[in-house]
Amino acid sequence: MSDKTDNSPFGNPSRRDLLRFGAAVSALSVVGCKLTSGSGGTLPAGLPRPVEPLSELTPKPTVCFGCTTHCGVVGWVKDNRVRRISGNPLDPNTGGRVCSKAHSMIAYTEYPERLLYPLERVGKRGEGKWRRITWEEANRKIGARLRAVRDAGTPERFVFHYGRDKTKGFTKRFTDAFGTPHRLNRRSICSSNRRAPLMSYYGREFEWESQDLANTKYVLNFGGNPMEAYQGGLYMAWRLTDARVDRGAKLVTFEVRPSATASVSDEYIAIRPGTDGAVALAMAHVICRDELYDADFWNRWANYPLEDMKRHVEQFTPQWAENESGVPADTIERLAKEFAAAAPAATTMSNRGSAKHYNGAQSDRAIRMLDVLCGTVGKPGGFCLSSLRGWSNRYGQDELPKISAPGPKPKGPKPWKPGTREFETLPKDVQERVAAFPDFWQNKYFGELATPSEYPLSWHWYSMRVGQLVYEYVREGRQKVDVYMSYTLGASYGYPEAKAAREVLMDERLIPFHVAIDIGYSEHAALADIILPDATSLERWDAHGTNNYGLRPYIGLRQPLVTPPGQARSVQEILRDLAHEVGGGMETHFDFDDVEEFYKAWHQNLPMEWEEFKRRGIWTDLERPLDYELYERPVAAADLEGSEMDPETGLIRKNGKVVGLMQDGKPVQGFPTPHRKIGVHDDIFPLAARHVGIPEDDPVASPIATWFHVPAFAAMDRSKQLHFTTFKWNVHTQGRSGHWKYAAEIIHDNPLFIAPETARAHGLEDGAMVEVTVSRPRGYTFRAGEDAPVGSFRQRLKVLPGMSEDLVASSHHVGHWEHGPVGSGKPEGTTAAEAGFDRQLMADPDIARNMWWSKSKGGVGSGVHINDAMPIDPAPLIGGQNWFDNVCTVRQLS
Amino acid sequence: MKFESIPIPWEQPFQRPRPKRAGMLVDLRRCIGCHGCSVSCKTEHAVPLGSFRTRVHWIQQPGRVQLDFVPLMCNQCTDAPCITACDSGAITRAEDGRVTIDEDVCESGQGCVSACPYDAITVHPQTGKADKCDFCEQRTDDGMNPACVDACPTQALVFGDLDDPEDPVSRAAARPDSSHWREDTGAGPAVVYLGANSQMEKAAPKVQLGDGEAGIVYAQPHDRHLRLGDQADNAEDQR
Repeated sequence: MSDKTDNSPFGNPSRRDLLRFGAAVSALSVVGCKLTSGSGGTLPAGLPRPVEPLSELTPKPTVCFGCTTHCGVVGWVKDNRVRRISGNPLDPNTGGRVCSKAHSMIAYTEYPERLLYPLERVGKRGEGKWRRITWEEANRKIGARLRAVRDAGTPERFVFHYGRDKTKGFTKRFTDAFGTPHRLNRRSICSSNRRAPLMSYYGREFEWESQDLANTKYVLNFGGNPMEAYQGGLYMAWRLTDARVDRGAKLVTFEVRPSATASVSDEYIAIRPGTDGAVALAMAHVICRDELYDADFWNRWANYPLEDMKRHVEQFTPQWAENESGVPADTIERLAKEFAAAAPAATTMSNRGSAKHYNGAQSDRAIRMLDVLCGTVGKPGGFCLSSLRGWSNRYGQDELPKISAPGPKPKGPKPWKPGTREFETLPKDVQERVAAFPDFWQNKYFGELATPSEYPLSWHWYSMRVGQLVYEYVREGRQKVDVYMSYTLGASYGYPEAKAAREVLMDERLIPFHVAIDIGYSEHAALADIILPDATSLERWDAHGTNNYGLRPYIGLRQPLVTPPGQARSVQEILRDLAHEVGGGMETHFDFDDVEEFYKAWHQNLPMEWEEFKRRGIWTDLERPLDYELYERPVAAADLEGSEMDPETGLIRKNGKVVGLMQDGKPVQGFPTPHRKIGVHDDIFPLAARHVGIPEDDPVASPIATWFHVPAFAAMDRSKQLHFTTFKWNVHTQGRSGHWKYAAEIIHDNPLFIAPETARAHGLEDGAMVEVTVSRPRGYTFRAGEDAPVGSFRQRLKVLPGMSEDLVASSHHVGHWEHGPVGSGKPEGTTAAEAGFDRQLMADPDIARNMWWSKSKGGVGSGVHINDAMPIDPAPLIGGQNWFDNVCTVRQLS
Repeated sequence: MKFESIPIPWEQPFQRPRPKRAGMLVDLRRCIGCHGCSVSCKTEHAVPLGSFRTRVHWIQQPGRVQLDFVPLMCNQCTDAPCITACDSGAITRAEDGRVTIDEDVCESGQGCVSACPYDAITVHPQTGKADKCDFCEQRTDDGMNPACVDACPTQALVFGDLDDPEDPVSRAAARPDSSHWREDTGAGPAVVYLGANSQMEKAAPKVQLGDGEAGIVYAQPHDRHLRLGDQADNAEDQR
């Protein structure tokens, strides 16, 4: 190695590698392949493109976009192609680790059906006939439409709706500059039921927690699956593995199926769906009954008296919880005691399993209560909180450089208060509800798409929105739309009742003009009028920031490793050019030619040269103390100066703003909640219920964590009906990975898993084809209790010991009908948008030749689409989709 | 330590000397079944769909509801049946013990494929050349770890030198609870496993796709019985 002198870090390719390439070329004469020209040079068709050794490649750091975790990675580049991905060891969240999805970024970027050219439809909408147009033509047409909306004085009739947006505010810059509040998202599809309870407990700054898994001794996991799919999953996976295997920590998982996380857990407890909260409350009962709590911590930081709390949980006995959850009472007793004994180096963990239910918010509040009772919050090995939003001197960001997009920043629209023009466009019943809202809600209200008045807790803390209701609200006329722009959104495939999205998009009276910005020809883009080809994460800039499970704030940089193929452009360039096209002042907020200059200015306060930041891809201050017990940190001297203390509450205010709390004569920061304590008791729940017509004695309105039956489950006839639940696989990510060939090779089908006992009880056989019919949910939710089923689908049963009883489960990543042969299982060339592709440039003959699971090769195909049969089912008050509340019948066909 | 003083790892070659006796540890206690190793391997070597140099099995042992995850690859056997079975002399043992296939010499006789007790050898569907895991010779020659080892997020895979008693792989091999995958093959498998047992060996015996792998419970590529029978009711019929 030492005698190598060239510029590449690993020296020259070895002789063997040269021989390999020689072998590939000489094989031409053997198999007589045709030559095809790709961007990587002249290659024999049918052979894999030669894979260069790392020594021939140039490494450069960026940030992965394979899922929502966003790991620091290094791409290895040659000839403007990323050939390999590895981890960035400087990333404190990962320590240089990646999972299979990082490698799949290459398949995300290079596949034959990737969109490379702007397209305009030439047939009817959805007919699949397209012509290639120039960017100038596309921008001119879209600009004219947008300008008309703005000139008419109705900017809110422009609706921007994204699926994946990690631009950290760049798209909001566009909608704010335009003047529309409609930058819609899919937060409710994902995680609002778990974020709301967290923000209620710990404040707006902590919509996500950062358990100190590296130092924990005990983890109670209610339905989280960080080994496969979890925002931050990889950050957690290796820390949990180290803690378990190297240091003997215990991981206990409540789940409805043997997930990867359940499988590596020291105990996996199959639980009935929707009963996690009952188990947590029974644990709280044991901890209170036996006085295993940390009374000092509770009295200092909980906003509710311990004696009242103890009285509250008296009713939730382990025996009661056993009856509801199927978890034995003595197991609950034992685990509660183990957790309390391990505290403070113990923590809870929960995600969709507990939260994506009608009662999910109350369940998560019950789970969070265990950490407060046992005083693990902020402690080494405990339930920690670390700063996670862009740095601008917010809570927990003291002395961090201010990292912020450059100005001039647009102001954005004003709230739709009674008396405003926008308010007058609302339906009468909505006007009445909004008029009765308190000021602090009226000041945040921006119409029914952005801030649905029936779900005030979807936007009380910040605008999480209720994405799954958007199409129905448009259909009902709650919001008029002139221009609809979707950005990497898979709603037509992946939303619950995805058919509703397709129906509305197909109705040109409801959606007169649809522009889709996407990487591939997705089911959603297929229903557009103009499609704009986006750059992938390997080809664009983004500011990256998230919470660090290593408890020290850091930032990362996504930077282009290669230029996009064809005419694809990054979303920043697309929106910049459209802003200039629309004009009218919009362009002043997008006054840059080079996107890099924009991001350089964004990071101008970083105490590191821009080039050095690009070289490393990550910045952190390793001398900064870890984020333990942030609440005990003193109030900054500058904040104390000229502040006032409220003698009754101990709150310290400066210029009317709460900056801390006096505790035992010391001014400390406390938590970023209104009372600076932990919001175990929160009156926002009954307040929200009152305003949307839910009785205050309904348990969803309870100000303190409680548990109640999911209404649809309470009404279930268990002799005929089963739970129907979905899940995610580790190699896939939401609805955007079905065409990643190596991921699809591993998981391309979605059989229905069922416990052997349940199959027997219902006369169902392993391997049989069945029809699943899903009924409407119940309670305070969309179309509750309607008799007609939501939909049906057919799939094979697969008996799997360890599944929770009375339940079938199927994953939802597969069953596409677009995204090429790998995604859809259809033969190559039958996709409609050929005009947008370049099959030469993006050629991968391996797919056509070797996709062994395709039906044409006698395989099972690419799975079944199940999302049309999943009901739109927003949780009361918060609006998070109750993905796991489905009740179905299963009929055997063969 | 200030972040600024940290060297940039990818700018400095990982100067791992080529081991005297190449060894691999597969620590099943640490594996989370993420498939990072196998997808990284496919990317590294452009392995065609349907062929595998390494593969992760998800298995369920009788009487156990939790799953186990088992990465399998060529065991670089000390008494390698593939070397004996190859008529062209394309398969040889390198000085450090690993078994390698020279594509230029391979005459596609495929004797090696049936000789391998692990079904670890694949034949390229277009060139007909035999191929298998060689601990990423092209990477280890450059002082790097094999692709799967670099890709493993939980350090379940470790590459090392069995001649160095202090090497983590040697230390694992010296543990009384370490084992080789299916000693019964008599081929002298050399990859070291921690956390394996005979039930798992029965459930996940092969690297390549195969029929009748009873005990495989999830919809993995080898799960052929999912592909039998009437499959007419599928994606496009559902809309």
